[in-house]
Amino acid sequence: MVSINYPEILRFAAQSMVRVKSPTTLMKMITRFLDKKIGVKHASIIVHDPEKDYYVFCDSKGESKLPISLIRLDMNHPIIRWFNKKKEWKNLIKEDYLSQTNINSFLADKSLISSNNQLKKNLLSIKEQMKTFKAELCVPGYYRGSLLGIFLIGAKRDKTEFNREEISLLQILASDASMTVKNAEYQQRLLKKIGELEKSVSEINRLRIRDKDKYLQTIITLAQMVDARDPYTYGHSEEINKLGMLTARQLGLDLSGDREQILSSSLILHDVGKLGVPDDVLHKKGPLNKEEWYKMRDHVRTGARILEKHDDFKEVSTIIMHHHENYDGTGYPYKLKGDEIPIQSRIISVVDAFHAMVSDRPYRKGMSYDSAIKELKRCSGTQFDPDVVRSFLKVIQKEIKL
Amino acid sequence: MSKIMIVDDELEICEFLKEFFIDRQYDVVTASNGDEALAKVDNESPQILLLDVKMPGIDGIQVLKEVKRKNPNIKVIIVTAVETDDKISEAFQLGADNYITKPLSLEDLERDVQEKISRLVEER
Repeated sequence: MVSINYPEILRFAAQSMVRVKSPTTLMKMITRFLDKKIGVKHASIIVHDPEKDYYVFCDSKGESKLPISLIRLDMNHPIIRWFNKKKEWKNLIKEDYLSQTNINSFLADKSLISSNNQLKKNLLSIKEQMKTFKAELCVPGYYRGSLLGIFLIGAKRDKTEFNREEISLLQILASDASMTVKNAEYQQRLLKKIGELEKSVSEINRLRIRDKDKYLQTIITLAQMVDARDPYTYGHSEEINKLGMLTARQLGLDLSGDREQILSSSLILHDVGKLGVPDDVLHKKGPLNKEEWYKMRDHVRTGARILEKHDDFKEVSTIIMHHHENYDGTGYPYKLKGDEIPIQSRIISVVDAFHAMVSDRPYRKGMSYDSAIKELKRCSGTQFDPDVVRSFLKVIQKEIKL
Repeated sequence: MSKIMIVDDELEICEFLKEFFIDRQYDVVTASNGDEALAKVDNESPQILLLDVKMPGIDGIQVLKEVKRKNPNIKVIIVTAVETDDKISEAFQLGADNYITKPLSLEDLERDVQEKISRLVEER
């Protein structure tokens, strides 16, 4: 007779179970293992089908294997009832498994049977059912008190009886398998939940992106309207965008993630608040009086207010609010100084000023590039951030060469 | 002794049910396809057929039709995994005496066979 190293087998089985995620695969592994290693005529497993509420065979292996697709065991089947209601006889019968041998010994136990006719009837019908399934041994698997399945094991091929060690091996396998089945069910439920969650998150994101694009489109249209109100600044936004992005790259500004989008939006939209400036002020040819000047200056607040309404434009709103601050703290609206001013606002300030200087106006011709560059240099450190001016000048020199 | 014929292309099912009914004092013959079934119906004259539907060659529905044409007294219980409404109604229209789907309860099957046999005795 082959001697079996049970601790070794158990360790192997336990390791396998950890690896196996699908309960069906696991059951097949167990039946094959029992068939080969313990050497039984058949090893079969029935499991509870929670949808149908009966037990079905999930696998059967061995020379006298059972036709697994044919048979089901209803909840009132004697074997199922026995293991489901095992507590009924718990004080009388301690063993948690049934074998032809122990059933025979229960039936032979006069003190057990004589006073309990129902128990005798049950045991007799179980014995007959086990014979139908050619089962020598039935080992149940529970999870938190509910019967998940049963190993139905045929007689050993060497015709010896199952020993204590083999039975306890089967009990451990049954309980571990039940745990794995439950875990797999739990994992499947969890995966389903995660899937649902991911779907709704991506749906929310999709809506937000769609909303954001729509919003951006609306604001760009508004910016174009601002440009269009003054034929001499037509195309201003696109030009500012181009020069601003080049300057930022020259500066080595971090444009990862949505930073690029934020800067670009800010450059395009920086004067959107001019929508709120009356035509007579916006287009006045002579110098502005104090009241007109306040109206003009207010375009930064108006612009910021338009954009702050949408979560995705909060940062753009802040940048626009500060694009007329001066590096030395003499600008508006908050007289911020140096690094207090967002870097994107400092870039807009330089690019916007340069672009305004070189653009033609109805009442004056635009400055030459050289004069505008001189003016930027003169105001570097007072009105403008010197680092931004330096980077911008590099960009503009490359542009001129082109 | 009542004679049952089990018709199924799955050998294990034939063998299992054969043993099951022999243990319960029935005379049992098996067939693993439609042609074999029809030939054995003539030679063995079973009183009752347990008939699978999906089989290679002549399927269970055709066997049912032919058997009922030859001898309407033979009781035919369809035993199948196919559970569509039109198959079920087709089977009953062709004279099937019951339609049981797999997986089945052996107790229910045995009870049903017993009932059909006792009806046969009454009819005689």
